[in-house]
Amino acid sequence: MSSESSTQSLDRPTEEITVSVNGEAVSTSVEPRLKLSDFLRQECGLRGVRVGCEHGVCGACTVLVDGKSTKSCLTYAVQVDGSEVTTVEGLSTDGDLHPIQEAFHQEHALQCGFCTSGFVMATKELLDRNPDPDEEAIEEGLADNICRCTGYQNIYSAVDRAAEELMDAPSDDLEDRTDSAGDA
Amino acid sequence: MSESSVQQDVDAEDGVESEGESFVGSGLERVEDRRILTGEAEYVHDISPENCAHMALVRSLHPHAEVTNVDTSDAEDHPDCLLVLTGEDLTEQYNPMPCGLNAFEEWSLVTDKARYVGEPIAAVVATDRYAAEDVVDEIDVDYEKLDPVVDAMEARKDETVIHEDVGTNIPDSETLDFGDVEDAFENADNVLEREYSWGRISGVPLETAGVVAEYDTDRDSFDIDCNIQLHTLVDDTVYETLGYPPEKVNLNVPADVGGSFGTKIAIHRYCALAAMASQQLDGRPVKFVEDRVENLQGGDMHSSEREYRVRLAYDDDGTIHGLDTWFVDDFGAFPRYPVNQALKPLSVVSNAYDIPAVRYDYELAMTNKTSQTAYRGFGVPSHIYALEMAVDEMARELGTEKFEIRRRNLIEEDQMPYRLPSHNVYDSGDFPAALDRIRELVEEEEVRDGGLLDPGVVEEKREEGKHRGVSYTVHIEPGVSGSDWTDRQRTDDDTLESREREDVAELPEHFRIELAEDGTVNAYLATDTSGQGHQTLVTQLLADNLGVLPSDIEVGYLGSVEAPTEYGTAASRMAVMLSGATEGASEALRENCRQLAAEEAFGCDVEDVVYRDGGVERVGGARANGVGVSDDEPADGRERLSLADLAALDTDRDDALTSVSYDYDHPTTELPEFDEALTKKYPVYPTAAFAANAPIVEVDEKTGEVEILKFYSLRDCGTRLNPTIVDGQAHGGLAQGVGAALMEEFSYDDEGQPEAITLFDYLLPSTKNMPPVELEHSETPSPFTATGAKGTGEGGMIDGPAAIASSINAALEGEEFVADQIPMTPHRVRERLREDGE
Repeated sequence: MSSESSTQSLDRPTEEITVSVNGEAVSTSVEPRLKLSDFLRQECGLRGVRVGCEHGVCGACTVLVDGKSTKSCLTYAVQVDGSEVTTVEGLSTDGDLHPIQEAFHQEHALQCGFCTSGFVMATKELLDRNPDPDEEAIEEGLADNICRCTGYQNIYSAVDRAAEELMDAPSDDLEDRTDSAGDA
Repeated sequence: MSESSVQQDVDAEDGVESEGESFVGSGLERVEDRRILTGEAEYVHDISPENCAHMALVRSLHPHAEVTNVDTSDAEDHPDCLLVLTGEDLTEQYNPMPCGLNAFEEWSLVTDKARYVGEPIAAVVATDRYAAEDVVDEIDVDYEKLDPVVDAMEARKDETVIHEDVGTNIPDSETLDFGDVEDAFENADNVLEREYSWGRISGVPLETAGVVAEYDTDRDSFDIDCNIQLHTLVDDTVYETLGYPPEKVNLNVPADVGGSFGTKIAIHRYCALAAMASQQLDGRPVKFVEDRVENLQGGDMHSSEREYRVRLAYDDDGTIHGLDTWFVDDFGAFPRYPVNQALKPLSVVSNAYDIPAVRYDYELAMTNKTSQTAYRGFGVPSHIYALEMAVDEMARELGTEKFEIRRRNLIEEDQMPYRLPSHNVYDSGDFPAALDRIRELVEEEEVRDGGLLDPGVVEEKREEGKHRGVSYTVHIEPGVSGSDWTDRQRTDDDTLESREREDVAELPEHFRIELAEDGTVNAYLATDTSGQGHQTLVTQLLADNLGVLPSDIEVGYLGSVEAPTEYGTAASRMAVMLSGATEGASEALRENCRQLAAEEAFGCDVEDVVYRDGGVERVGGARANGVGVSDDEPADGRERLSLADLAALDTDRDDALTSVSYDYDHPTTELPEFDEALTKKYPVYPTAAFAANAPIVEVDEKTGEVEILKFYSLRDCGTRLNPTIVDGQAHGGLAQGVGAALMEEFSYDDEGQPEAITLFDYLLPSTKNMPPVELEHSETPSPFTATGAKGTGEGGMIDGPAAIASSINAALEGEEFVADQIPMTPHRVRERLREDGE
């Protein structure tokens, strides 16, 4: 927990929530107006959640809520009470990059990196839904995320590479990854 | 040119030898990526020290209004409020912010009247940002509204003056003639005169401005973490505002910055305000993170907005003799610190064309809009765009193919180095070859059966009201800004006239290396970075030069107090300056290691020690004894010292040898070709990276929508130190070029209210808007730089809009259409087509 969460004045209303964040149960009281993005960054210390626009356009804050890609800046923390939230920190296991992260690295699909967590999480949802997306499906799947540095071509290549990796991976590996990313 | 040509030389003199493949010239994977991909990167938004308080700003609702009263009493009574600051508080204790022109005075908070919507009027600090915004709502501001001046052409009339003490809305203008301009226009067969507009666009990095400031009560000094760009150069905008000497105000920029593209050069207001607040709160850290609406509305980050009138003097055979550009640039409410985007186009005033006579005439206009800052290309993209539109129109007037007109006027390879009339010099390049190649590429790939420009398909599409076309253009990307010209507008004419070459001071790039005890190489950059991969660049150069692995190298950053005043990351500089500095520092370290080993371990002459593969070896002694040990043979273990050994040997020495710093001089410093430009304070950009472009566009006459089907681009930035990063810069630059050409604009209504304050209004390209990009490279190493690199940070944004606009003209050739306004939005295309149809 960062210092920012402990400084609220006592007369501000709070609600109790319990959320599974990257497989770990978090029970705490939050202001009803606390955005999920701020909850994850400030209460959970997950700075991979980036806040770029706070009005749902840029997608830098994209996380998975019960497996569905969600803009955490447009969601209140109280809305995810009882849900499973996965952030980019929940993808890599034992120090190894997830195949999606590795693909972004290999294809130079990031420069300043501020949008990258959001793109990685949107890609995760896309590939969970459609393991072998064509160009149109990638365009559609990532159209809610803005990158200002890469021009997207390398991001397309990264999604292709990740899809191949994940399809080639033994199914046991896939099970493990899915479990570790989304398990409560 | 093959990649092998950029490998490091094996320098026999100091015995460096590289085993196997060179890291330079290879697409070494970025060392920055892992921390970013795993969420471990630390951007300034992530910095939250213990007990950190949060600032929010009260911003003006009106574009032009006297602020008659700021009632802070309710705010101060709010239980979460820690501090309220108003303009009045600032004038008692602090200074105004430095402005781009001497006559202006701008305070961090409004002291008299608000001059644009979003101008900060008061700052509040509370326990967290949510509470701070609650407190903001408790502040009542009384305004007395004044008529706003929104249009730059209207502002020129000075009917309403925004700064009464300055007395005019045109505080700076200049007419510069190079060559015999009158003669060129009088004697040419034809003169063409046209007008073009360039809309207010900017970089809009995904990470907004942020700062965490902490005042040290014991030392009476400040530590400021922030994502300002050029933190060692523009630190004066912060320390002067605070009223402290530079050594008391340390600006630190984190290793990870979420994009800048020039725009964050001017975020000093936030740095200063957070620092003042921390001082007022006896050293409690204060954080400010700009939200997106603040950023778009009043974040001091808009860029050039220009009205052009371009004249070309040309003969019937298509030869251009003279160019005359006049423009008015809407600078908004204050001339921000970098005003020189108005002058930088002089460095490429005739683009890739050989035009002997040039007039350059500009006016800076003040209006009730957000102030301008720098943006990728620093004023050049609009100039290139206006010139290319005029060349398109000239070709049409002559009834000659645009390609032929361009080909005829391009600077030839044998004219290199080429001196422009405006005194800058292009180092190298074969522009006609680039133009030929891009045409050949497109004709081979697309003007054939099944290609995008298959004549049958083009005709079919045209019958459906969809017009396809392509134009071939060549554009220069001036690189490696000098700095001595950047205060031209604050220098009086007499001083300019009497300047001698000796008066010119160019800033070098500073770089440090230290060997750690374990032999790790620690390097320190005096510049900041925002996604360009500087750590990777330095790592690969050091790995080659020192014969170590990239994993043995750590690259850190110096704060503004520790680093000398440097120019830093801007203007496509770092590939050149940082690589030059790294080369120099590496050589110095190798020399020192040999000296250290000779003096402290081997007890021999320095000449008998070679630096090899991440260590030193004694060879000369053996050879002297006639044993015949050659340089190529593995050395005896006793006669080899690793970097860790050397660091240990150095521990007790007074004059440390395993720690070196090096300053790489700006390339123009030793080159007489640039003397005149330097002396007269004209822009100096010694490298001419270039691109030949061919975006294939399709314009829908019903909707006015322009779709780019594919973007062919041949690019040359000299030696490609890291081809992967070069490609990344090209892709990113072109994406910004596409946004600028077709989508992005900070428009204002007639009353001065900004119309693009969310990303629903200011449209950035997404996956839906970017075409496939076909990149091809050539490599013409610069003869002026240490590594042959030319710099490539601004490409794509510089040349993309002009190339796209020219292709739109080509697609609508039969419609007599001119893309005379940027961005060429669907609305504007429809409007032009309908006007044409009437």
